[in-house]
Amino acid sequence: MGEVELSCLAYVKMYLHACLFPRCSVNGLLLSSSPAGGAVCVTDCVPLLHTHLPLAPITQLALTQVDVWCAQTQQRIVGYYQANACVSDSSPTPCALKIADKIAEQCNNAVLLMIDGGKMSPDYRVPPIVMYERKDTRWTLKDKHTIMLQQWEETRDIASQLLDSGDHSLLVDFDSHLDDITRDWTNQKLNAKIAELASPANGNV
Amino acid sequence: MASVSEMYDVTWEEMRDKLRKWREDNHRNSEQIVDVGEELINEHASKLGDDIWIIYEQVMIAALDCSRDDLAWAARKRKISILKAQGKSAEAIRELNEYLEQFVGDQEAWHELSELYINEHDYGKAAFCLEELMMTNPHNHLYCEQYAEVKYTQGGLENLELSRKYFAQALKLNNRNMRALFGLYMSASHIAASPKVNATVKKANVKYATWATNQINRAYQLAGRGTKENKCSVKAVEEMLESITMS
Repeated sequence: MGEVELSCLAYVKMYLHACLFPRCSVNGLLLSSSPAGGAVCVTDCVPLLHTHLPLAPITQLALTQVDVWCAQTQQRIVGYYQANACVSDSSPTPCALKIADKIAEQCNNAVLLMIDGGKMSPDYRVPPIVMYERKDTRWTLKDKHTIMLQQWEETRDIASQLLDSGDHSLLVDFDSHLDDITRDWTNQKLNAKIAELASPANGNV
Repeated sequence: MASVSEMYDVTWEEMRDKLRKWREDNHRNSEQIVDVGEELINEHASKLGDDIWIIYEQVMIAALDCSRDDLAWAARKRKISILKAQGKSAEAIRELNEYLEQFVGDQEAWHELSELYINEHDYGKAAFCLEELMMTNPHNHLYCEQYAEVKYTQGGLENLELSRKYFAQALKLNNRNMRALFGLYMSASHIAASPKVNATVKKANVKYATWATNQINRAYQLAGRGTKENKCSVKAVEEMLESITMS
């Protein structure tokens, strides 16, 4: 089907989310600030949970709040990501499919992204992700060639840098926010750090 | 104290083979099995391959014989962790259930089991585990809140009302539990919006939801005052609460 572009910001935060909770399944929402129609550009993501992914109340709450925030900031929810605790199995769980279905109700070419834990070694050469799109009523594997990651090597290096410096602990997911509501699940601080590392002044583009 | 391998000058392979011989000959030399087995598990687990399962069993039984409950539990716990890491939830669940038949008071195990059931979407059984935990830990707000979440997920009016009650209970035990506060708000709102409830029930739930809304707003106002950081999340909550009208 269509092309999907994944921004540095979205990828790095997703990746750090999975790294922050290595023994848990984690999930989150994929956002776009581009208008609907044409290729899907995932420009940001909101990390949601690292506990009790299948339970309804907090997921519903998070979806509602992110919806509201998107309306305020001219973004749309265009997809869902998940990383399973069990690294040998990167297939979507029933709860992943359920949430992705819900998102697809509002967004035509929604994507479901699974992070492949098995491919997350320090020197991985390709993005450890698997994408699904909706064909009829089923989620089917997307052709790798339709997934674009601009500046892949620079993106990967930024993620590594943040891990090494310990800055990945800046990441706040919705779960952490509920534990301490002074923490910001929109991650403005971390976004700024990533933007700084990605800026041309640093030799990256 | 010297290790078995040092004392008897044996390799790990010889220790493993000895254990096998004792199994085959049905020896109940529990103390020896415990000594050899404990060292094998602690030092050489990764080398044992598929043998590890049967060795865990053997050591577990011998440990219980010697009143080494700690070792029995450690062996069982490790086995369950490995099963979980391998994605073998059904086996892990079975092992945990067996363990709990003997050690019915083990809180950690009950909680572990509830998590496994949640991941398998078996909410009825997860609720049962949490009920056990709430019975033995009536002051623990987290168990109440998790139970409420499971009930909410199960859905239906009766479960929603139960979930609201338990969110409320969690709040009584800890009035800063935000999940419980939001949970109370959501369950009460859903009940109030249901066409199946009469006017009295509706009115009561609107009251609960409104109370929760005020508490949530207060909490976020307090939180927002401290830092500029969570400005965005505060705004999102305010709008969310405003946009959901109680009719």
